[in-house]
Amino acid sequence: PRPDVHPLPPGTHLLFAQSGRIEHVPLEGHDMKKEDAKAVLHLPEKVIIGVAYDCVEKMVYWTEITSPSISKASIQGGEPTEVIRSDLDSPEGIAVDHLGRTLFWTDSVKDRIEVASLDGSQRRVIIDSDLVNPRAIITDPPNGNLYWTDWNRDAPKIETSYMDGSNRRVLVKDDLGLPNGLTYDPQSSMLCWADAGTHKMECTHPARGDRRQVMEGIQYPFGITSFGKNIYYTDWRRDAVVAVDRYAGKESDQFQPQKRTKLYGITTAYAQCPSGQNYCAVN
Amino acid sequence: NALIGTPGDCQPCPCPDRTSCSQIAETGQVVCTNCPAGRTGMRCQMCEDGYYGDPLGQSGAARPCARCDCNGNVDFNAVGICDHVTGRCLKCLGHTEGDQCQRCRRGFYGDALNQTAVQKCRACSCNPAGTSGHVNECHPQTGDCRCLGHVTGRDCSYCEVGFFNLQPGVGCERCKCNPIGSSS
Repeated sequence: PRPDVHPLPPGTHLLFAQSGRIEHVPLEGHDMKKEDAKAVLHLPEKVIIGVAYDCVEKMVYWTEITSPSISKASIQGGEPTEVIRSDLDSPEGIAVDHLGRTLFWTDSVKDRIEVASLDGSQRRVIIDSDLVNPRAIITDPPNGNLYWTDWNRDAPKIETSYMDGSNRRVLVKDDLGLPNGLTYDPQSSMLCWADAGTHKMECTHPARGDRRQVMEGIQYPFGITSFGKNIYYTDWRRDAVVAVDRYAGKESDQFQPQKRTKLYGITTAYAQCPSGQNYCAVN
Repeated sequence: NALIGTPGDCQPCPCPDRTSCSQIAETGQVVCTNCPAGRTGMRCQMCEDGYYGDPLGQSGAARPCARCDCNGNVDFNAVGICDHVTGRCLKCLGHTEGDQCQRCRRGFYGDALNQTAVQKCRACSCNPAGTSGHVNECHPQTGDCRCLGHVTGRDCSYCEVGFFNLQPGVGCERCKCNPIGSSS
């Protein structure tokens, strides 16, 4: 069935998944314009988990677990297109490298991390060992780094590697519970996560390795994304998107859609691509 | 479309419990936008993640959406834990398997339904020297391995009374004690 697609107005938006749809909330400065929140995409037969945004072609990418697949659609309006449809069991986290024009995802049943070109070609497994419940994945394109979480109840961890899977290292393994969400802020070079087990939001500078708590007592975070001074996360208990001022370390706003069901992945759809380039973009 | 000017311009949403809907301008298709709890789909005909059933009876008798029932052998932090129509569990943990994660996987034994056990399903781990079968083959509930002649113990690791010298692939030998000089 043809889903209805509402083109997004210009500006920066939050995009998040609520089972059968991808919703957006426009941002004005750092404030959510809640009254203008609307579904971008209705996919009523699907359960959408992860969302990612390509700032170059203004496309949203998502993972779906009902008939496991990865698809994309233009946020300016257009038909959804399947990108990956075979050999997936439970695709969850998804990330776009807008410079290298590639797509990364985690599969929590196959327990691996894969990469492909944005059209689905040149698919390759880059990590297939020591993963139990891989979930969130994000890219840092200018530096060529990849970050992901594994909420393995026996040994949760946050890991990093280069974008080809080499130079893999564990960044965080102590005092973690269920690190469901992960985000990287290119301006501050901070990697932040939301943990549904410890109920904390924390950040680290991956190169320096220092660790700092942003907030504690959060309820049940699933997805998380950053934009400037704010971090936004989806919460399974509250069925809401919660805004946190990461410097003040406290909640500043929340958006609760009318429909009360679980919210999953969330991402920031930038009005323009963040500045920076890397080797792959040049060559 | 309220702008045509006929009595039938506005029609009730074809959604349960008088919930709202919207019409796609290009195709005229109607999509329910606020299905009742646990339900989703164009006409709220499907169950959401974590639920299963067939609320409109599209494949047989109607079954309301119920929470996935996996005998406590799934993790609530996981997504897609059961098939949204049949309820078949897709992410059984702790070495359990089955449509409701109701039994131990091959190579493991125990009671997958025991809600108090720390470890519901344990590995067979049959003693390779004493078993006539495979080290991963045991009774699914008791864990008894198939033992060689005169070998005993759950995992076939020692000799029966009156036997000694467990030899791999052979079993145990009868004790050759002189009945006159032995106390047992």
